[in-house]
Amino acid sequence: MTDSRKTSIGRRSLVGGAVGAVAATGLVAAVPASASAATAARRPAGYVAADAELHLLRRATYGPTAESVAEIRRLGTKAWLERQLAPAGIPDAACDSLMTRFPYLELPISELRSRVKAGTMRYGWDTMLQLGFAATSRAIWSERQLFEMMVDFWSNHLNVTNPSADVWDNRHDYDRKVIRSHAFGRFADMLKASARHPAMLTYLDNRFSTRAAPNENYGRELLELHTVGLIYTESDVKNAARLLTGLTVDWDTGEYRYSLNSHATGPVRVLGFGNANPTAAGGEKAALAMLDYLAMHPATAKRIVTKLAVRFVSDNPPASLVTSLTKVYLANRSAIVPVLRALFNSAEFRGSVGAKVRTPYEDLVATVRAVGYGPDASGTTGIESLYWLINSSGQAPMAWAPPNGYPDVAAAWTSPGGLLSRWNAHLNIVAGYRPKEFQRPENLARELVGKLPATYGALVDALARRLFGRTLPAAHTAALTGYFGKAPTAALGAADSAVGWKFSQLVALMLDSPYFATR
Amino acid sequence: MPDLSCDGCADDQRTTMSRRGVLGRAAAAGAAGALAGLTGDLLSTQLAFAAGRYSGDVLVVLSLRGGFDGLSAIVPAGDPAYYAARPGIAVPKSRLIGGDSRFGLHPALAPLLPYWKAGTFGAIQAAGQRAPNRSHFAAMEQLEQAAPGTSLRTGWLDRMLGGLGATDPMQGVSVGGMMPARVMAGPVPALGMKSIDEFAMFGDQAGQPMAATLAKLYEGAPAALSGPARQVTGSLATTRALAATAYHPANGAVYPDDTLGRALRDVARLIKGKAGLMSACVDSGDWDMHENLGIAESGKRMHDKLAKLAEALAAFARDLGTAGMKRVTLVTVSEFGRRVHQNGSGGLDHGYGNAMMLLGGGVVGGKVHGRWPGLSERHLVDGDLAVTTDYRAVIAEILHKRCGLANTRAVFPDIRRTTSGIVRPR
Repeated sequence: MTDSRKTSIGRRSLVGGAVGAVAATGLVAAVPASASAATAARRPAGYVAADAELHLLRRATYGPTAESVAEIRRLGTKAWLERQLAPAGIPDAACDSLMTRFPYLELPISELRSRVKAGTMRYGWDTMLQLGFAATSRAIWSERQLFEMMVDFWSNHLNVTNPSADVWDNRHDYDRKVIRSHAFGRFADMLKASARHPAMLTYLDNRFSTRAAPNENYGRELLELHTVGLIYTESDVKNAARLLTGLTVDWDTGEYRYSLNSHATGPVRVLGFGNANPTAAGGEKAALAMLDYLAMHPATAKRIVTKLAVRFVSDNPPASLVTSLTKVYLANRSAIVPVLRALFNSAEFRGSVGAKVRTPYEDLVATVRAVGYGPDASGTTGIESLYWLINSSGQAPMAWAPPNGYPDVAAAWTSPGGLLSRWNAHLNIVAGYRPKEFQRPENLARELVGKLPATYGALVDALARRLFGRTLPAAHTAALTGYFGKAPTAALGAADSAVGWKFSQLVALMLDSPYFATR
Repeated sequence: MPDLSCDGCADDQRTTMSRRGVLGRAAAAGAAGALAGLTGDLLSTQLAFAAGRYSGDVLVVLSLRGGFDGLSAIVPAGDPAYYAARPGIAVPKSRLIGGDSRFGLHPALAPLLPYWKAGTFGAIQAAGQRAPNRSHFAAMEQLEQAAPGTSLRTGWLDRMLGGLGATDPMQGVSVGGMMPARVMAGPVPALGMKSIDEFAMFGDQAGQPMAATLAKLYEGAPAALSGPARQVTGSLATTRALAATAYHPANGAVYPDDTLGRALRDVARLIKGKAGLMSACVDSGDWDMHENLGIAESGKRMHDKLAKLAEALAAFARDLGTAGMKRVTLVTVSEFGRRVHQNGSGGLDHGYGNAMMLLGGGVVGGKVHGRWPGLSERHLVDGDLAVTTDYRAVIAEILHKRCGLANTRAVFPDIRRTTSGIVRPR
């Protein structure tokens, strides 16, 4: 089969082998095959620049920026990583000041409720939406990039959907006290904090669980999703649910409360954990002991390090890495920083260049970072608009509805519909159609490629170096210059639309390509 | 607690953000990884088959996410144990509609009553998976792979589409979400779209060949990247044609303005647009009612959910009309039923056996199929309704009689089709 034949069949598959009545209407125009590009780019690794510094930036941040590239070139990977692992030492004044635009996030639960009661604040989603807007802003503009990635990781691991109606008064507090407080701490502490927070107890119904009729929802997800995974029995669920009775929410204050009257006493056994649980007064302590046991269970260690490896290394992480990280997790009593340090310093990490595909959230956040746009000069209209754009691409931060958190592997996101909305979002963001309010350079082409390149090919080369840290194979460079009806060797003039009103389209096409889709 | 109004966010935003009950498509992240490597060669093999024009029923699979309580919908009013188990939330006999000597329909299903009476809406009780699995995620994964104990990791609808010779993404479409429907996961191309109108590429127009340029950039990419890219660029032509004219439902049908209503409206549009559709997936979420399920009155949770569901289904049937529905079979599935006894929160925990509902011109409706195992303690499985009919046997009968699929074993290994006559042969 010749190359051109292969292409036309491939293309036909798009429109369905001429089956459907509408199939003939478009896109059948044959595209000449480009064998060289095909072989050069066959493996995902072939799309991204291979050097270790850019590899680390693509994984441990929400996407390289001009500034972060300069920084890691200066510090080297080791020092750069250590700096990110100690976020308190990273100045982040601009992002901190941006956060003051989301004032509700600082309000204690009691304050929020009394303001709503007094009518000085409306009852609704405002606080939860501010949390989503803040998360998006931090992902783009915080200097503490790895910390923010871990906040997102834990928000998914101990998911409490934001926004969702029944956690309107406490979800922001959960973010601060459970997730952000412990994101670089010990998992055992985060797990116990989540079990005593009204957001989790509401989301998984434990607040309604009583000794007469235990509600199994939280008990099951605690075992299946938060800790050991699918090794439990139905008896373990029933026992865990019984021991967790009494951990509830006070209807008047909206705060966590341990209710003696609701606690089911009597011996419990969950996996290898046993407790006589003789009194209601000792019930809370017994429940926390179970959580400590579960956090340090080898199956929990393995699940969490596997999820971290899927997050940062590859969709099917090597068993050797999972084994070594499990040991680090257990030896450090569930402390996460040593696990991250071991992960990013591992040979398996170094060998995983280009093995991940960006999820929609990562993709759109990385888009803003890649073009270097700043937030609204004042207010939050642009940030909100970006949040809703990300939402319509399927992945607003913390918004996943089921308790298992967003999927983190490429296969879960290979939806044509999702891909299309990402492509549409790239052009919207870059051209400043939506959001309109971000601070953008006066001349984007000059900002991204410097002085006017001599040819169309040189323009694509310069932009690819800026966005991807590499140039493209000749066939793909030609495909992009061909978009303007030009050969790569064609001379570029200062008044050409390619560096004028169509420049955004060129940037968007490059962000739509596999060179940006992989990380 | 009063319902929150979502001031300041548009309708579609609110629905996509609806709570965890959506228990969404492709829920199990780990499982999705198993799909890697399925595309490639298998895909080109599939393309070698040029499908003839499909003349079978369009199979619409409606997934009721979160664990649907079939006992609230198709109520076993003739079983006294039902009323004993649910003192606060059982549907009183006086409120039931339709039904037969043993069962009655929840009053919120009233919009479907005409179809029940006409014999095109029916149900099967005590259906479900081969073994209980009360984890949403594991149960959903098994439900959609539908081949426990085998090495098959594709979705059963993908195998069905393959068996029918589907080659075009427009032949298997899931409407309503960005996420791929797991049940369609596998080598046969299938499409996920939020809606027909939103499936368009911004900026791609005369003089701006964006899609064609991207097709070149994705050429030769690994299947995981190039597959969806090809499907996007290819399907744009169809959706562009469909979206070119505004859609007006026929026969005065009015779809509820919610996720399910909009999705079914688009399915009807695809069917009428003759885009080659063989199967469509739509989702209805928020059935995970651990608390405050409510009595059978307006304003209560289960009542209102069922009412919206019935409204959407009735609009769909009305829009397609009797003639259109002759070529459609809609079936509901859910990962599990719910506990027979209500819990302390006026809700129901995860259970096992469940009801499936069927709507279509070929459905033998107006009755409840299946063998009723009873709800007295000794008949329950760990507190749950037993399963007397494998859900796959029901679907297999539909695939065989209505979709013209001869070899249903290729879709459901080891499953014998039901012969109870839930659908008529075409």
